[in-house]
Amino acid sequence: MIARLRLLVYMALRSLWSHKVKSLIVGSLMAFGTLLVVLGTGLLDSIESSIERSVVNSLSGHLQVYAGTGRDSLALFGDMTMGGSDWGEIDDFATLRETIERVPGVEAVVPMGINTAYMTRGSDLERVLGAMRQSVREGDRAEARAQIPRARRLIGLLRADLDNQLAISDPERAVTLRADLDRIDRASTDDFWAAFADDAAPDAATEALELLDTRVAPLAGEGQVMFIRYVGTDLPQFARHFDRLRVVRGEMVPEGRRGILINQKYADRVLKLTAARLLDDLEDARLAEVTIAGNAELTAKARRLRGQGGAITLMLSPDDATALEAELRAALPGVEGDLDALIEALLTVDDATLAERFRLFHDKVAPRIELYPFNVGDVVTIRAWTKSGALEAVNVRVWGTFVFDGMERSELTGAANLIDLVTFRELYGQMTADDRAELDAIRADVGAEFVDRDSAEDALFGGGDDDGGDSPVEATAADDFDAVGAGLQRAPRAAVDEEFDPAINKQGLVLNAAVMLRDGDRLTEAQNAITQAIADAGLTAKVVDWRAASGVVGQLATLVRIILYIAIFIIFAVALVIINNSMLMATMERVREIGTLRAIGAQRRFVMQMFLLETLVLGLLAGLVGALAGAGVIAWLDSVGIPAANEIMVFIFSGNRLYPTVGAEHIALALAIILVASLISTWYPARVATRIEPIEAMRGAE
Amino acid sequence: MSVLIAMAWRNLRQGGRRTSLLLAALVAVTGLLVLLMALSNGVEASMVRAATSLAAGHVNVAGFYKATPDEGFPMITETSRIKSIARERVEGVVDVVDRHRGWARVVGPSSSIWAALYGVEVEQENRLRETLRPAPLSAYVDDVDPARADERPGDLSKLGEPGTAMLFAAQAKRLGVQVGDGLTLRTETLRGQSNTADATVVAVMDDLGLMSNWSIFLPKQTLLDLYGLDDDTTGAVMLYLDDIERAPDVMAELRAVYADEGFEVLEHDPRPFFAKFQTVAGQDWTGARLDLTTWTDEVSFLVWVIAAIDSVSFLLIAVLTGIIAIGIMNALWIAVRERTTEIGTLRAIGMSRRRVLVMFLAEALLLGVVGCLIGTVGGAVVALTLDALSIPIPAAAVQAILMNDRLHLVIEPLELVTVVVGFTIVCGLSALWPAARAARMPPITAIQVHE
Repeated sequence: MIARLRLLVYMALRSLWSHKVKSLIVGSLMAFGTLLVVLGTGLLDSIESSIERSVVNSLSGHLQVYAGTGRDSLALFGDMTMGGSDWGEIDDFATLRETIERVPGVEAVVPMGINTAYMTRGSDLERVLGAMRQSVREGDRAEARAQIPRARRLIGLLRADLDNQLAISDPERAVTLRADLDRIDRASTDDFWAAFADDAAPDAATEALELLDTRVAPLAGEGQVMFIRYVGTDLPQFARHFDRLRVVRGEMVPEGRRGILINQKYADRVLKLTAARLLDDLEDARLAEVTIAGNAELTAKARRLRGQGGAITLMLSPDDATALEAELRAALPGVEGDLDALIEALLTVDDATLAERFRLFHDKVAPRIELYPFNVGDVVTIRAWTKSGALEAVNVRVWGTFVFDGMERSELTGAANLIDLVTFRELYGQMTADDRAELDAIRADVGAEFVDRDSAEDALFGGGDDDGGDSPVEATAADDFDAVGAGLQRAPRAAVDEEFDPAINKQGLVLNAAVMLRDGDRLTEAQNAITQAIADAGLTAKVVDWRAASGVVGQLATLVRIILYIAIFIIFAVALVIINNSMLMATMERVREIGTLRAIGAQRRFVMQMFLLETLVLGLLAGLVGALAGAGVIAWLDSVGIPAANEIMVFIFSGNRLYPTVGAEHIALALAIILVASLISTWYPARVATRIEPIEAMRGAE
Repeated sequence: MSVLIAMAWRNLRQGGRRTSLLLAALVAVTGLLVLLMALSNGVEASMVRAATSLAAGHVNVAGFYKATPDEGFPMITETSRIKSIARERVEGVVDVVDRHRGWARVVGPSSSIWAALYGVEVEQENRLRETLRPAPLSAYVDDVDPARADERPGDLSKLGEPGTAMLFAAQAKRLGVQVGDGLTLRTETLRGQSNTADATVVAVMDDLGLMSNWSIFLPKQTLLDLYGLDDDTTGAVMLYLDDIERAPDVMAELRAVYADEGFEVLEHDPRPFFAKFQTVAGQDWTGARLDLTTWTDEVSFLVWVIAAIDSVSFLLIAVLTGIIAIGIMNALWIAVRERTTEIGTLRAIGMSRRRVLVMFLAEALLLGVVGCLIGTVGGAVVALTLDALSIPIPAAAVQAILMNDRLHLVIEPLELVTVVVGFTIVCGLSALWPAARAARMPPITAIQVHE
């Protein structure tokens, strides 16, 4: 038996050697196939586990629980519904949490809720007037007077703004705008501002401010409007369990306090002053050794940067403007003209000047302006739409900014900001059972379809822009001036620094919850156990793994895997045909040899075994070469790392580089596939060979 | 020449199984290539259709109006003058339409969503009327009466009446509205002031991929009232050309024309208008400026889909072509060995080396032509059949990416010719080495040696 095997192996090697070209061609195809499988599955598994790290560690946890009664399935990283996602609500988090926590292997259940809203910071004018009011109240008129030039400049800009709006308004709105312009003109006279002089009557300044506050400031609106997506959660608990969270500036919102943590990426990509942002992009590219001249996108950014000076000069106080002008003139010799020209020159960059200008901007300009619309410690107003379409507003303090370690560049994880659960619930427009009953009664009474309890309240307390809209067109900029003021200055609901009982985080309404496991590898097991526990407790909730919870992102990973498998399948199918063809032709060439073997007493079975063994040996050799090559390529990639080309790749790679690894299972799989494939492709040629009669050998080839 | 082909044909037929297997592989690969190309074309066609009916003309004359330096509205003034200049000064413009643009929270009985508002004059909108079709009730009404499931209520022409709205099935489903129901629109100006209007749904249309998820159409006047705007303002003037390929040229021409007519024209920025707000908001001019774009600029955020399909196809086909080339090389190499005697005889009776080379090449080329023709025609037939069946796409994510809720495949005849020619050349090239080997053989060895 052993002797026979030895003979077979010897013959196989001899025949492979004697048909070198055929062996080389078939062998290289097999090696290539193995290489593809090792490389493809190895990379894909590495990518999938890095996506898992990104998703699990940033938002989802190992498992996610949600009510599952809504219209949509959970999609933590957003879906295509444009803010209308409906995942249902978990009304009683306490019971659900306790049920899940009892399941073995569960480490924690972190409550969550996701919403999209917008954030405002108040207009510049409002802030200047606020400062003046403060000074007047403290009796410091000189300090109040110092603000006058800035206030008058802002009012002048407001006037130009309304003038421009007037140019495109329909007659009806034009009437309102003209009235507004009149008011502004009255506040633009020197007489008006004389009220702040030291010898004016003590109450005159207060009266003037009152007038500005109620009649002029509201025309400037709420200042910049910033769209924001946030996750409401138990913040201290979130920080404990999502350990990639790192606070960059400021501090974590303490236990029992309201507050928002802004994602550093969101701050830098969306909130930051455009000029600073463009400079950041160009400087990042420079550090990555990409030149502006050689890259169309960077060239466009550099061109856009040049036009951003206006936003900077607007923010400078008169003193700072003078100082900056002197400093820039010294730093940029040869530039003619005023401060505007100097700033434009500063923002006109190319590959040679970029590093210097970037430094100059951050040394000289940045300290004098605000790079972000608000600072850590400031209070912002967040407005969100409840499901019924009413607008909720809450004031909340910005405690700090954060990143998910290693994923600083990713916009997907960068889009999520973190807010405390109490504020989240208020913005979500939580309704108790009593609220709902009352709402139904109101609906029945007034027949208005979209009014809910909160907006009814608003209507009572002066929320002029929140009613159901009985009239077809209702502009807030209505004729009644005071109503506008009252509407815009409506006090948002909660006191910013009010404390709450941390136990609130453990109960009540949430939209979803992250389940953290002690052992992330036992995911399916835990998922089944939790599903069972929830069913046993008589609750309705869906348990999904991180992949399903991530929405489109998870679907994309699956899609890529399907495409890879289909591609490998097609490639193998075609390669099989070609290998089969080569083998068949090789058989035809060996008719004489086989005939002779048969004539000297070899059985058909022996011929069959000989052929199959020959292919197996070839397959094994080629497979090993291919697998080694594949493993070599991956090992090389592992040592250098595949750089993430863009921010989406950062998310997919869970960092700036992917370090792929290959496991024994990939090599085993590839070898198994190639051996099976080579056996299949030899089957037919081998059968043809066994049919060769000894007599044919004598006849000669052909 | 005909002798050569006849000989090649005879040799191929003698090859028997060898030839048929190679042929099968060639047919499969070319067929696959044609299918992949049809898919890519189909996605592109769906994208053109969705983009040019929902979001953009072939060329767009849009722009920004800035009341203050730090904000910009996607709006232009002097609409009638801009339209007449486009009509009079440029060749090949077949249709000129203008739409107002807005952005609002749309509130329905069961939910509320964000949507881009398009204010249209429906009698101008030939494209919209041709492309869109009312959706069946089953597409957006929960628990619809089975007898009425296929009904397609709604009438786009009613969009001419004030206070009406047209939306798409996915939106209607989410908002919980049907034709005849009311919606509330809340617009927010960038300064946080809000206006509200009510609108009655007069039509619910079939979805058009990702883009229809965020577009709602209203009568232009409703939008003007909502924002309190003068009627000579608009969002974008959309030009439709007799030949969409000319869009970049026409845009360049129009830029010069408008600049010449005294309009301020912004530098060309190949991004959709909604991506430009921040850029424009940072610039320190006020007033109106024009921004000209082509339809591809307005959907540039989607073009990656086509690029992705094309690069996956390219990789796959490149690998397969390599394998096929190896197969052909191998087959011919064996053929050369098998036919050594034949070659020797031919050479001995005076056939030139060159002719031997050509003979083997002809064999490979003939195999290539036949295989590619069958594969291409087969692939095209499969593609056309799949397209005719208009198979619904199951996953929402795939629907969104392919810009269609059904599988759409488009065959470009010219591409088919390229495939046949290209693959035949690859076949010829891979035969070059074995054929050269055959040609180098001296007649004497060829006759003498058999093994």
